[in-house]
Amino acid sequence: MGREVRERDRDREPARLRMEGVGRRYGRRGPWILRGVDLEVAPGSLIRIEGANGTGKSTLLRLLAGIDAPTEGRIHGRPRTAYVPERFPAALPFTAAEYLTHLGAVHGLSRPEAADAAGEWLERFGAADHARTPMSELSKGSSQKVAVAQALLAEPGLLVLDEAWTGLDALARGELDRAVAERTAAGGTVVFVDHDPRRLAGMPDVTYAVSEGALESRTGQGHPGADGPYVTVRAQGPHGPRTAEPPAEAVELAVSVEAVEGGDAHRFDVPESRSDALLRALLTARPPWHVLSVEPEAVRVRVPGPRTAQACETESSR
Amino acid sequence: MSALLRYQAALLLRSQRALPPVILYAAFLGIGVQKGQPVLDSLGWAAAALLPVAAWLVRICATNEPSAARSCVAAVAGPERAHLACVTVALVAAVALGAVATVVVTFISDPTSADHRIRVSAARCGVAGLLAALACAFLGTAVGALTTRPLLRSPGRAVPALLICALLALVVTGSPARAAVSALVSGSQTGTVPVPVLPLAGAALLTAAATAVACALTSRR
Repeated sequence: MGREVRERDRDREPARLRMEGVGRRYGRRGPWILRGVDLEVAPGSLIRIEGANGTGKSTLLRLLAGIDAPTEGRIHGRPRTAYVPERFPAALPFTAAEYLTHLGAVHGLSRPEAADAAGEWLERFGAADHARTPMSELSKGSSQKVAVAQALLAEPGLLVLDEAWTGLDALARGELDRAVAERTAAGGTVVFVDHDPRRLAGMPDVTYAVSEGALESRTGQGHPGADGPYVTVRAQGPHGPRTAEPPAEAVELAVSVEAVEGGDAHRFDVPESRSDALLRALLTARPPWHVLSVEPEAVRVRVPGPRTAQACETESSR
Repeated sequence: MSALLRYQAALLLRSQRALPPVILYAAFLGIGVQKGQPVLDSLGWAAAALLPVAAWLVRICATNEPSAARSCVAAVAGPERAHLACVTVALVAAVALGAVATVVVTFISDPTSADHRIRVSAARCGVAGLLAALACAFLGTAVGALTTRPLLRSPGRAVPALLICALLALVVTGSPARAAVSALVSGSQTGTVPVPVLPLAGAALLTAAATAVACALTSRR
């Protein structure tokens, strides 16, 4: 029989982002938007925040991103952070590439590195043609691509997305899904809010709901592999069949990892949005793994539900 | 920090919003300074006019970005450092403006006392004028930092507050800017060149305190 490997090694990095008794209100007499929020975030996790309009989701994200300071309580252990707002009005006197180069430099990249990363990310989001366009002439969708690119180009340890998908075209939405998977695979934390309940369905490690100023955990509602289209990857370890353990990063990405019985390969089931990250993990492992096949998973018992629309959307975007 | 400063400086230069205060300053100088006038009087005028200009430059730098863009930078660099970069770039711009004005005024003015009887050293007058201009640039920066985001956010209140505070900073007894300017003017009357180091130190301290308050409040209000 195959071997299930699902535990995540959570304690590799000592620094964890922690909120302790955090509360926030605007002005000295304003009502509390959030109060008594405790949150601990493990590196490499993907966290979804839910809640009705006006419940304080955006306030929570601004606190997490360090843009606002808590009125009471403390936040520790924040890694290098990037933030994507829902709307990014591009009233800035730069071209897209110039703006991204500036932001990359603020992230700590050298100018040439920042310029390269800017070009690469604009390309990934299908906005390479707009690199030399003044920001003030960009469409709403294109400027949102710039907003997403500024957050991703320096590989932040914490990525905070406040409805970042809004305004992006289908191609760019899919690309952002993949970028999120890459970030978490590389040990980064991603926290997001999105009005679409199917966004990254099945991927979040933890889901929280904000209501009446408090944060409730909804863990268990979404665990990796609960939903969404899957891909099966067969790959072979470097030194013969049984000796090679799959790379830890790949194990973390996959929903299940099995040694193929009788053969000399491993079988990885992975949500489609993470498949690129898994292949990268296998191919860049030291020594590298050999990929035998990548197939859409044929048979998998799934509970039918409204979320199957996600599959259609993701596939049509390819 | 240098990347932040460069970003803010590029924002200030590219946005062309710095143009109105620079033109205003040139107009101030056109009104108050003429060729062949006593050098210390003209330098005093040039320094005093720099104060409201510096305050305006801080306001421009602090409100130059749309709030979404400001949030992006604040997440990366921290809101305090981002605001510090705004104020610093405005201060540097004001100091550069003041330095250019001081050099020009020193060259075109008559190096004598107010009654044109006693000759004074133009170079020493230039140094005195530079110190006074620095004091006014610092104090103007303090005024600007305290009368814009994050302390005063609605322009309806912030702009009148900026104008009134800038005026008060020039006339209230005990203000370093007033002390620096009146040192130049009285030096012009007696034919001695002052060295207004003390007012400069006072202005620098006040500006550091005002900037610290503004930076600390950016993420809290």
